[in-house]
This record gives sequence, structure tokens and C-alpha cells, in this order.
Amino acid sequence: MTPGEAAERSEAVSADNTGEGKYVYCIIRLDRSREFGEIGIGGGARVYTVTHNDLAAVVSDTPIVIYDPTRENVLAHEFVNETVMREFTLIPMSFGTVFRSEKDVLALLKSTYQAFTDVLEKMQDKIEFGLKILWDRDRVVAAIERDNDEIRRLKDEITRNAASSTYFARMQLGRLVEAAMEEASNRYVADVHEQLKDVSVASRSNKVIGDRMILNAAFLVERKAERQFDEKVKAISRQYEDLLTFKYTGPWPPYNFVNIKLKLEKAT
Amino acid sequence: MGLLTNILLAPFLAPIYGTKWTLDKVDRVVREQLTDDTPIKEDLMALQLQLEMGEIDDAEYVRREADLMQRFREVREWREKLGMSTSGGPVRVAESDETE
Repeated sequence: MTPGEAAERSEAVSADNTGEGKYVYCIIRLDRSREFGEIGIGGGARVYTVTHNDLAAVVSDTPIVIYDPTRENVLAHEFVNETVMREFTLIPMSFGTVFRSEKDVLALLKSTYQAFTDVLEKMQDKIEFGLKILWDRDRVVAAIERDNDEIRRLKDEITRNAASSTYFARMQLGRLVEAAMEEASNRYVADVHEQLKDVSVASRSNKVIGDRMILNAAFLVERKAERQFDEKVKAISRQYEDLLTFKYTGPWPPYNFVNIKLKLEKAT
Repeated sequence: MGLLTNILLAPFLAPIYGTKWTLDKVDRVVREQLTDDTPIKEDLMALQLQLEMGEIDDAEYVRREADLMQRFREVREWREKLGMSTSGGPVRVAESDETE
């Protein structure tokens, strides 16, 4: 953006606040207007509410643009939701949702009023945590070779008869190790889910990223059980500290547990 | 880019890729590749993870993120050209249920 354009745009903002688009972060239950500070996407835009009855959309003014999901933009979106979440139960909107006007935001609140209200009730005082588990392949293989008699015997045999050991014996070993690893992965994941069952309301497993990850899950947790959940995760990560790396994040808005299909179309 | 090259040169390759069925199929595969942003999203998540695990530094992240954003934009352009729905940009509540 050239300096000229910037000046033009800030003039437009001060002249008519409603003339621009609205970036929507989330929906909360609130029947009056509220400010959340200058923390919005696109360099600290003012974050405020657009309300309809007892529902409010948390928004900031934005030019009509397509936001790339860069780390900077995603973090700005996320930071607003984190701030709102300290006080409210919220339904997060997808990253990059821009409406042309306040009127269009109100139309969303009106047309989806019942679904938003129902989901907000279900999500009342619940938060989400993310848990990714990665393993160290070499260590897991070492553990398997130590604990699995059949594999250990076969490996010893191959090592002893290095020259004469057949291709097939090696293939056989590879297959056994693969199977044992898959079994171990399933066992770890099942154990983690089992141990977290009592301290969470629900869980969802997402596709794993890369070849070292064995679990990529989200857990829905009661706010009042946050500490118990926290302690449990830490205890499990200690239990497996030699084999597994835990990446534990949150609290998040319930991204993985809200699925309202909004009937939105492109505004031209 | 082998597939794309074949399509661009299709008239000359007619004796080999001669049936309409084959061309349709190739065209469909190319279309799917050009208009699907799922692999880009997966790459972005993998990149994020690499940064979190300390396998790459900030500068490397920013550089590779820029490449991925470029790929997102290209997919979006193709989707627009082919009249498919795109994410991002202004939206409004659909006027009738038929758009579902």
C-alpha cells in the first residue's frame, strides 16, 4: 500500500465507520455492545460487537480483502478469540470470514439465531485442548527389539550369520518390526485416551501430520476440570517421556466440536 | 508438469492420447490438482510443526510460508476461473436454501 492509499483509507474510516467490511471472529451470548480493544486483524483494528437480541458477533472493520492464512493473520484471529474466551463461551468463526456490512452480520445472527443459541448452550463453560504425540522411531524400535522375544531372536540370528542370512530373513524381520510398531502406536494412543476419558467431555482425532506423529487429537474439557486435565496430561507425558514427545496446547475455543453449517454465499 | 505439457501439446499427440476419454481423464486429474488446497494446508501444518519442534528457524519458516501462500493464491485463481467456490473474500447469508 502506498502512503497515498493509506491516507485515503484512514480518511474513509473516520468519515464512515460502517462503510467498510466486517471481519467476524466469533459469536457470543451478550445483549449489549462491548469493546475488546485494538487487537484486530490487519494491524490492531478496534474489536467490538454487533448484537441482535442476546447474541453478539465479535467483529472488527476491515477493507474487503482476502486474508491469507499467514502466521501473523492466524495469530491475530486467534488472539482475539483468546481474549474473548476469558469471559465468554464462544463459537469460533472460520479464519478469514468477511462480511460486506453490519447489515450482513445482523442477517447472519438472525438467520442462524436458533443454531447459535443451542450450540452456545452445549458449549457453555467448555474449552478445548490440543494434544499431539510424536514418537522417536529409533527409541521405539529399540524398545521393541528389547521386549519382543521373536524379533530379538531373529535379529540375533541375522547378525550372527551376517554373510549367510537371507534376504527373506531380513524381510521377515522388517515385517515383524513394522507390525510391532503399529501395535505399539495403537496401544499408546488407546492408553492416552483411556487415561483422559474421565477428565474430558469428548475427544476427536484428526489426521496425523508427518511420519513421526501418532496422535493429533482435540479434547473438550469442562472449565472447572481444566486443572485435573492438565495434571493428567503431564502425568502421562512423564510416564512415556523416554519414548514419546507430547505437544500440548490450549485452552482453545471449541474449534473441533462446533460444526454449524452456515449458509453463506459469495457477496459480490 | 508432464501432464500439463501433454495437454498443451494434445493436438500433436493425438495418435497416442487419441481418445476423448483419455483426454477427459487427464483434464480431470489436472483440474483436481490445480483446484485442491488440501495438500497446501497439510504442508502448512507440517511447516508449523517443524517450527514448533525447532527443526527450522523463523527466517526459514517465513520463506516457506510465502511459497505456500503463493500456492494458495494460485489454487484460488484456478477455482475462480473454473467457477468453483472459494474460501476467503466477502460473504453473506445465502438468500434461499437452494444454495446449500
